[in-house]
Amino acid sequence: MAFESWGVAGPAVTAAFLASLVEVVEAFTVVLAVATLRGWRPAWLGTAAALAVLALTVALLGPLLDRVPIHALQLVIGIMLLLFGMGWLRKAILRAAGVIPLHDEDAIFASETASIQTEVSGTQSSRDWIAGLAAFKAVLLEGLEVIFIVIAVGARPGLLVPASIGALAACIAVLLIGVIVHRPLSRVPENTLKFGVGVMLSAFGVFWTGEGLGVDWPGQDVALLAFAAAFLATGLVTAAVLRRTYARALSDGARTGSALVSR
Amino acid sequence: MSILKAVVAELLSMFVADARQTVATLLLVAAVAALILALQADPLLGGAILFLGCIVIVIEAAVRETRRRGRRSHGMRL
Repeated sequence: MAFESWGVAGPAVTAAFLASLVEVVEAFTVVLAVATLRGWRPAWLGTAAALAVLALTVALLGPLLDRVPIHALQLVIGIMLLLFGMGWLRKAILRAAGVIPLHDEDAIFASETASIQTEVSGTQSSRDWIAGLAAFKAVLLEGLEVIFIVIAVGARPGLLVPASIGALAACIAVLLIGVIVHRPLSRVPENTLKFGVGVMLSAFGVFWTGEGLGVDWPGQDVALLAFAAAFLATGLVTAAVLRRTYARALSDGARTGSALVSR
Repeated sequence: MSILKAVVAELLSMFVADARQTVATLLLVAAVAALILALQADPLLGGAILFLGCIVIVIEAAVRETRRRGRRSHGMRL
């Protein structure tokens, strides 16, 4: 299968790598919580079982996708990318503006550990089973998102392999760093990554939805980069404006509250 | 069974994080499709409307959520 031009393959590899990085870090946090509580055996078993289910999903889904006409596939995946990408971008804007808190892997690790601890009771083997199930669920859920992202950004002849390589590189990177560091990867700039991924997936969404509807984008690859630049500028400006607006709303509220209290 | 429910809920939340944003996006795509396919308008015009519409939807969703949280925070302080 020939690679697409680097104008489109480059963003596809990058989007798949960065998006998968975010998902794999989230899965790793839970797997690490399981390993910390119950040891690496249930963590690895749960992870391996989830990877087997994911491999089966890919094996079943792959041939089915080949049968769908390319325009219909681009339209459906384009719409899904718009919903997914714009959702991530909206949340990344709100986090950058301070309206919602940043994702904290350390806090998630602590809460997952506490949650698994309260769920386990009974014999040693049932505790390992429950812990392994937590690892299985986390890897399966995040893995399904990775599969969707790879299929979505690779939904064009020649892009599936680059997208898969991007995702695989992310998995290996997180695994290597995680095994060495042996802690939640809390220093990964998650919101920055999600911002970038939201921008790229939204751009891909517009590009492919348009192609699915018969739009012949002028400049092809250049149009994709232009969409990404526009979404990035929109996100940054909106976050900056909302940061000021929200901070003002909070300080106005604090002043009103203390004025009422002092009466 | 609970794993299946968790998987379905997670997959749904991937695409429907904000209901109004989701509905607006789907309506936009439907409108652009009607414009291009049914009304035979220039596809590039439809593409431009799609792109600009998405930008507007993202801005509106972020502003709406900020206002909602600002009002809620204001109300709690009173």
